[in-house]
Amino acid sequence: MIARRLLGVAVFAAALGVWELWAHAEDSFLFPPVSTVAERAWQVWPTSEFLLNVAGSLKRLAAGYAIGAAVGVAVGLVLGARRGVRLALEPLTEFLRAIPPIAIVPVLVVMLGLGDAMRVAVIAFGVCFPVLVGASQGVRAVSPEARDTAAMLHVGPAELLYRLYLPAALPSIVAGLRVALSIGLVLVVISEFVGSPDGLGYYILSSSRSFNVPEMYGGILFLGLLGYVLNRLFLLAERHVLFWHYGAAGELVR
Amino acid sequence: MSSSADGVVVLVSGLGKRYAAEGPAALSGVSFEVSAGELLAVVGPSGSGKTTLLRLLAGLSAPSEGEVLLDGKTVRRPPREVALVFQDYGRSLFPWLSVIRNVMFPLHGLGLSRTERITRGEAALDEVGLGEVARRYPWELSGGMQQRVAIARALVSRPAILLLDEPFASVDALTRAELQDLLLRLHGDPEHRRVTIVHVTHDIEEAVYLADRVLVISPAPGRVVGCIEVGLSRPRSQPETRSLPRFLAVRNEIDALIRSQQSLRSGAA
Repeated sequence: MIARRLLGVAVFAAALGVWELWAHAEDSFLFPPVSTVAERAWQVWPTSEFLLNVAGSLKRLAAGYAIGAAVGVAVGLVLGARRGVRLALEPLTEFLRAIPPIAIVPVLVVMLGLGDAMRVAVIAFGVCFPVLVGASQGVRAVSPEARDTAAMLHVGPAELLYRLYLPAALPSIVAGLRVALSIGLVLVVISEFVGSPDGLGYYILSSSRSFNVPEMYGGILFLGLLGYVLNRLFLLAERHVLFWHYGAAGELVR
Repeated sequence: MSSSADGVVVLVSGLGKRYAAEGPAALSGVSFEVSAGELLAVVGPSGSGKTTLLRLLAGLSAPSEGEVLLDGKTVRRPPREVALVFQDYGRSLFPWLSVIRNVMFPLHGLGLSRTERITRGEAALDEVGLGEVARRYPWELSGGMQQRVAIARALVSRPAILLLDEPFASVDALTRAELQDLLLRLHGDPEHRRVTIVHVTHDIEEAVYLADRVLVISPAPGRVVGCIEVGLSRPRSQPETRSLPRFLAVRNEIDALIRSQQSLRSGAA
């Protein structure tokens, strides 16, 4: 296990090494070696200006993710629980889901302007669908025995959602949330390419425009790091929230 | 419940079920009655509509013909005084709830305080001998223990009628014998007040060992082909009861009855 971990680290280091050597061979200011990028990052990342960009991105991601997830869970649970509603809404949700969220950025710009409302909306739009599908499928997978148990006890519709469908669908909701997290990160950056006063997307784009190439690469490295850390945190939270799911599947060591 | 001690609690008359309007009947013309405190076993080959019958008794599905009367009232939706135990404990228990919370699940919305709910949940677990594992999760327990949790959950709301759908079919033989004796103990426990039990099984010996009467159902469409009085004294115990001549005679009678139905069918086909 440890040997495999080390192998992974070694491959990662080798990729950086290749970058370093290749950049030295090219010797172009458009393709700086990783050491230069790291040096600039070391100087730039702790500045308040850069950190404000990070904070701006995280704020938009958090808002869009929260709204998208809440809408996705709520609509998905209802779609899963009510066949009639599902049949009525499925063509619409399937159609909307098929639209790449990036494509609606111009629409949202027209509707909401160039402010954060547009950015939060596009993130929420992209985040919503994987969560919605997860919730809906999770509810539909609830066993007939569990449904009958609830029916025998006269569990009302609202309570049914909260006490049976939500927990039963949680593993598949969480799977949707995980997919949605990386979609959210993509959409933060893209939405910040469009008229944003700050944010990591803004930082990368403006660095590119002013030929601050090491800063541009630094911004990308930071995004990679941020995505990695967020995903790690997500997995930690998931293990905590879904311990019963892994336990029931026999994948938990307590 | 208001029924007198020996009165009929469940009256089934002319019960039939088709899942599609013009489709084949799963059950047809089924009539029988169950007395208060009785343990009635329902046996039949697979596909004889035993589970369908139980779902109709539970009010989980509506009959196409006939009706189920509970204490003289037509069952149209699941009655409060009926509890159901399924064969597949893995799918009926909730993995996200601890054992005690699974057992307490039916007590929500009854206006009980949290302390009362916990007390009753613990009492129900004690009854099935699982007081020790209240804080564990169902998936940490063996199959037999999980089915005991399901039984405790069914008993916690103190139902007048307990419906069991092949409850011991998914556990090993040793555990099955243990659970059978647990059921007999719960049923015969005067402290616990005698609960009326309808027990669906495909195991003839289990039916004879447990029941006061055994209702024999034919292959689809399920019809009543016989109702046999077991007539073995209680309390019963595994090796002794099962070796009594009366036990063997009843067992063979039911076996012959089921076989005659099957040969009838293969003769007709």
